[in-house]
Amino acid sequence: MNTRRLGCFTATGILAAIAAVVLAAGFVWARGGSIFSPGPLNAQAGGQVLGGVRSHAEIGGQCGRCHVAPWSGEHMADRCMQCHTDIAQQLLRPDSLHGALVRQAGALQCRTCHREHRGAAASLTVLDTAHFPHEAVGFSLHAHQKRQDGSPFACTDCHGEKLISFDQTVCADCHRKVDGHAFVDAHTQLFGDRCLACHDGVETYGRHFDHNAFFRLEGQHARTACSQCHTAARSLADLKHTPTDCVACHRKDDAHNGKFGTHCGACHKPTHWKDATIDHNKTGFPLEGKHAQVKCEACHANNRFKGTPTACSACHAKDDAHNGKFGTDCAACHTPTNWKDATFDHSKSNFPLTGKHAQVKCEACHTNNRFKGTPTTCVSCHQDPAFHRGAFGTRCASCHTTAAWRPAKYLGSHPAIASEGGVGINHGHTSCRTCHPSTVRTYTCLACHSNNQGGGGGD
Amino acid sequence: MATARYRYSNSELWMAFFTNLAITALYLAVVWRLGSVPKASAFFGHSLGILGFLLMLMTETLYSLRKRTRSARWGRMATWLKFHIYTGLVGPYMVLLHTSWKFGGLAGVVMLLTVILVISGFIGRYIYTAVPRTPEGAEVEARDLARAIEAAETDLQRWLAQRPPETRQLARRLIELSELRTEARTPLLVLGRRLMEWQYRLRMWQEKRRMDQAARAQAAQLERLLARRRALRRQMASLAMARRLLGLWHTVHIPLGMALFTLAFIHIAAALYYATLLR
Repeated sequence: MNTRRLGCFTATGILAAIAAVVLAAGFVWARGGSIFSPGPLNAQAGGQVLGGVRSHAEIGGQCGRCHVAPWSGEHMADRCMQCHTDIAQQLLRPDSLHGALVRQAGALQCRTCHREHRGAAASLTVLDTAHFPHEAVGFSLHAHQKRQDGSPFACTDCHGEKLISFDQTVCADCHRKVDGHAFVDAHTQLFGDRCLACHDGVETYGRHFDHNAFFRLEGQHARTACSQCHTAARSLADLKHTPTDCVACHRKDDAHNGKFGTHCGACHKPTHWKDATIDHNKTGFPLEGKHAQVKCEACHANNRFKGTPTACSACHAKDDAHNGKFGTDCAACHTPTNWKDATFDHSKSNFPLTGKHAQVKCEACHTNNRFKGTPTTCVSCHQDPAFHRGAFGTRCASCHTTAAWRPAKYLGSHPAIASEGGVGINHGHTSCRTCHPSTVRTYTCLACHSNNQGGGGGD
Repeated sequence: MATARYRYSNSELWMAFFTNLAITALYLAVVWRLGSVPKASAFFGHSLGILGFLLMLMTETLYSLRKRTRSARWGRMATWLKFHIYTGLVGPYMVLLHTSWKFGGLAGVVMLLTVILVISGFIGRYIYTAVPRTPEGAEVEARDLARAIEAAETDLQRWLAQRPPETRQLARRLIELSELRTEARTPLLVLGRRLMEWQYRLRMWQEKRRMDQAARAQAAQLERLLARRRALRRQMASLAMARRLLGLWHTVHIPLGMALFTLAFIHIAAALYYATLLR
């Protein structure tokens, strides 16, 4: 049984503990926090004096220069930036190495890559090159994983010995071996030698590039060299801002001399200039009937489109079968389907067609294509019949209607029955031929009256 | 009474050895996986340090607490001593692996103290096992030892009496060899007992080599009786010295332990301040 009441807390034990504390405190007082250091600090002298020193080893015992108290609210990175002011400036610029890294992975801290206490000569930068977020600096290594021989790329293949710098001539030197001198030389001549201005390591703008996402390459466009449209492009911005309106490239090809504006694509296709379609309905002259089957040049002579006359006579003067007598507005009667599909509102003329007149063909009255000036008197078409030739003059309408010759109504004097008045009250409903079987000049009453008792009437 | 047998097993040493072997295998697997030695501040290295230190704390505190209790329901002292030795070997080994083989600064001093303390522990155990104890771990009193020696002597005489004279003649030589060279209460009797035993066994072996087959068989039986008697006599002779040495050893071992744990806590506080809680 242990008789010591305090167990291991013997007098010597407590003294030893106190001595240990005193020794440790004394060491800290004399040498700073170096007794807590897990390893020597880097002693490689930098080119410039930062924070009053050239290397971290010069502040070896001053742990507080870098290490912040956990309750202080500061971060170690804040202490780094107090001396490394150039990096502090870089962090504000997204296009810089550190600015891009922090923007890409906000949780990154200085000591993620920069490790200390690894020895006086150890490198201050420890890069996991296999997992370095290269895209953060504007160039992805997606297409630069393996060399042509299948071996993995090494950082030094592009960067040389200093990983933080990069000479863009390295790109051309290597790609001459991969893609050939001719291609690279032509490419750099067309687009310059600042490869990173366009290439981000992801997009090579080669056969797998989806140009259609920006401008559909169809027809002749797909067979055109890049530089023919992207003239003098020296950066991604130049490529992206290449004008996409037709006239930017095709002003010299405008056969219409600007008369149809600058949007060639409204009518033309990239396959061929002649593959043009125009919606004539949107013009001032919709194409209907036979007009729709006519070739453009039949109306638009000499490539004249805008300003082409739309009057019928401009094209159909030679077709005017009326010799200009009906004016030049053919459409007043005719439709584009067929010349013969003509409609004429005779009621608007001075000779409305009524009765049998409406059923007669135009040429029956309008002989020799004569329309205007066609006589409207009855006798110009209707011969005086032998029945009453010369008896009643030329005004057929005084007795006859256009519905039919008979029945006719004679309303003139009737001497034989003058006692009945002109209309012959007792004979008004009798047919003329009843009394006048041959001509109106002869008559007989015997048709009705056996003893010539009188009577009369009309025809 | 049956002759008392006060012998210690090394089971806790073997257990600690195989545990450390397993830890070593795991460590090597991690080294192979990482391609380098695991850093003290990395997950694996840090875990080794934390677990190892916890074991060391258990080594110190639990055994001390057990020693102060009177109740037997907490287990036998001998068992707790084995536990103390086991954790006292495994814990420091894990802490050694935690260092990633860098011994600078306060951490290096702590590791050095740990190594010294472990070595001290081996010395203490060696002294401790010089004191005969019951299976429960209690020290055997001098009178009990005297009774045991008397019993061993009786067994020896009975055996001799049952043998023919030529055998008794032979036995006399062996009995003479088995006598302790010194009865003085010197630290050598305690600290050098292993060496003395090896020397004794060497002499016995040389003596038995000169015997014929039949005599050798008889000598083997006699040797067992003589070894028991010799051990008891040595224990009797060194009992007081062993106790004094153990007490002296405690005056070194305990302050070492206190200094070690004090500095270890300072190291932990500094690691927390400078590393773990660093933003």
